[in-house]
Amino acid sequence: MDSKNVKILMAKPGLEGHWRGLIAVSSAFRDAGFEVIYGGSMRPAEIATTAAQEDVDIVGLSILCSNYMPLTSQTIEQLKAHGKGDVMVLLGGIIYPDDFTELQKMGVSGIFIPGTPLEDIVKFVNDRIPELKKVA
Amino acid sequence: MASEDKVFSLSGIPIKDLYTPDDVKTIDYDRDLGLPGHPPYTRGVYATMYRGQLWTIRRLSGFNTPEETNKLYREEYELGQTGLSVAPDISTVVGMDADDPRVSADIGHAGVPMSSIEDVEATFNGIPIENVSTYLADRCGAVTTAMYFVMAERRGLDLKGLRGTTANDMLSFSVPSLVNQTPPQAYLRYAVDFIEWCCEHAPRWNPVSFDSYNSRDCGLDAVQELGMLLATAIQYMEEAKRRGRVPLDKFVRRVSFDTGLHNDFFEEIAKLRAARRMWYKIVRDRYGITDPKCALFRVHCQSSGSTHTTQEPLNNLIRIAYQVMAGALGGAQSIHANGYDEGICLPTEQSMLLSIRTEQIAALEANIGNTIDPLGGSYYVESLTNELEERSWQYVKKIEDMGGMAEAMSSGWLYKEYRDAMIEHERKVATGELPIVGVNRFRLEKEPYEVPIFRWDPEAPYKQIEKLKAFKQKRDKDKLTASLENLEAVTRRGENVYPAVMDAIRCNATLGEISDVQLKVYGLWRRPLAI
Repeated sequence: MDSKNVKILMAKPGLEGHWRGLIAVSSAFRDAGFEVIYGGSMRPAEIATTAAQEDVDIVGLSILCSNYMPLTSQTIEQLKAHGKGDVMVLLGGIIYPDDFTELQKMGVSGIFIPGTPLEDIVKFVNDRIPELKKVA
Repeated sequence: MASEDKVFSLSGIPIKDLYTPDDVKTIDYDRDLGLPGHPPYTRGVYATMYRGQLWTIRRLSGFNTPEETNKLYREEYELGQTGLSVAPDISTVVGMDADDPRVSADIGHAGVPMSSIEDVEATFNGIPIENVSTYLADRCGAVTTAMYFVMAERRGLDLKGLRGTTANDMLSFSVPSLVNQTPPQAYLRYAVDFIEWCCEHAPRWNPVSFDSYNSRDCGLDAVQELGMLLATAIQYMEEAKRRGRVPLDKFVRRVSFDTGLHNDFFEEIAKLRAARRMWYKIVRDRYGITDPKCALFRVHCQSSGSTHTTQEPLNNLIRIAYQVMAGALGGAQSIHANGYDEGICLPTEQSMLLSIRTEQIAALEANIGNTIDPLGGSYYVESLTNELEERSWQYVKKIEDMGGMAEAMSSGWLYKEYRDAMIEHERKVATGELPIVGVNRFRLEKEPYEVPIFRWDPEAPYKQIEKLKAFKQKRDKDKLTASLENLEAVTRRGENVYPAVMDAIRCNATLGEISDVQLKVYGLWRRPLAI
């Protein structure tokens, strides 16, 4: 599997409109050669349905409000319910370091706070392409 | 730095290494600058400026529940804040009630939830609204404001004496809510309905504050910000004029503005100075309005959240202080200093206190307000003011040529501007072209500061849902249904909707119910995808 076979759904599960990060990271993924589905603002269940229908490898969530715990957990539950429990989940936004461990336990593979260079995020995915292949 | 190195302002204006009288020789003092309080108001909208009255210290705030927000507002007053500014939470911004299953995780975030008049009453409990000026960052159709007005009626107050401002601006709402939006043309209709209604029923209320803050934080530069801001104001004026229901000067007299304060210190000062002159020209030359009160570009400014970093958050205190100083040197009427910790969390109590103190120190210790427009006459600042004006006029014209701001939103052009700005910003950060101290310059391996974190109350949504359910139970269903049916009929007939909105609120309609009528009539607007 190489970068052009990697399919990523990018979405905001909350209703807040801080979408700058979502656009920036989506563009970086696209420029790196990944296939990006830009979902914009979607409810957790919509994210899961789309992830299943499009058979994506990665779901990237962007949350800039302090409600990332319930929203991430709801999204992951929905992904499992839609048979996409194996998808890699990435989370970007204003995330408190104290919550990293719990989010990882929940099933989040990568957490990226503001100020993370975009190339680091792309590299994170590139480094894990072999793992994605295993589940594909 | 060698003088041949090219240097640009944040909005791309080439900056010389030295400015001299040559750069300002076209300036005619009376025509282009004038005295403060006199046309073209470049030096300030009031004759005495801060010598007469300090800028208002006004933080936009709200969180968790109306009860906790009420407590916060009282505390802010005790700390010396002089204006009240209400941020609705996300569910309120998108027009969904707390008991809507779609919003459960969003209640109480980024503002105070206000689904019903009961929430508004709890938010203002014990606050003498007849004596304070309140700013409401209201959504489409000024529904929360209707609740505020009906609350005033229930307190036996005369709306004619009520002071405050409703955002009511479609440009600022092009940014935050990704869902549940009405089309921009519908937004414009509701906005002007509200303006017309206020002119008659709440004449001391500012029915619109044109607001470029959110747009600026999408990555736009000062020229784009100013251009969009004024193009939006022009479109509202065109709409009010086309309808002809209220004399234009009556509306324009109460117009106010809201902008960001970004990093380029002198450019931000020049932006506010240019804005005043441009607004004067629009009002006087374009619309022929002679009432001097109409030509005053009264502005609230807020430090730009997008400049605040998550890394080394204490550095944001310094950024905010410079931005506040730019606002004060630029002659703002009201300033909001952000919390230094907004790149990490909602502001803590400590950070809220620091925000207020930042402004108080600028005012009382740095003596910024001792004289009016202290940078007036600076070769550099005057030259930059001219340059910003010229470039912003071109941008206004571009928007007008495409049919105005609502069309620029519908067509997706605005969103392409945002996207391009966002991506260009990321490129400059990645290449180091745009230095951000502690992020792409002098970055430390390990975060050196540990700062307190604000924790949101996870119980807040449940409290709100229960309260709202109880509120809905005790309403007179027949009256409520009739008021909402009337609202829909009035909306479809093209009459001014606001009397019907007020009636529906008097019948205890909720925000979500009124918002649903808007969506039923105009449909859901999916804003154009620009990626």
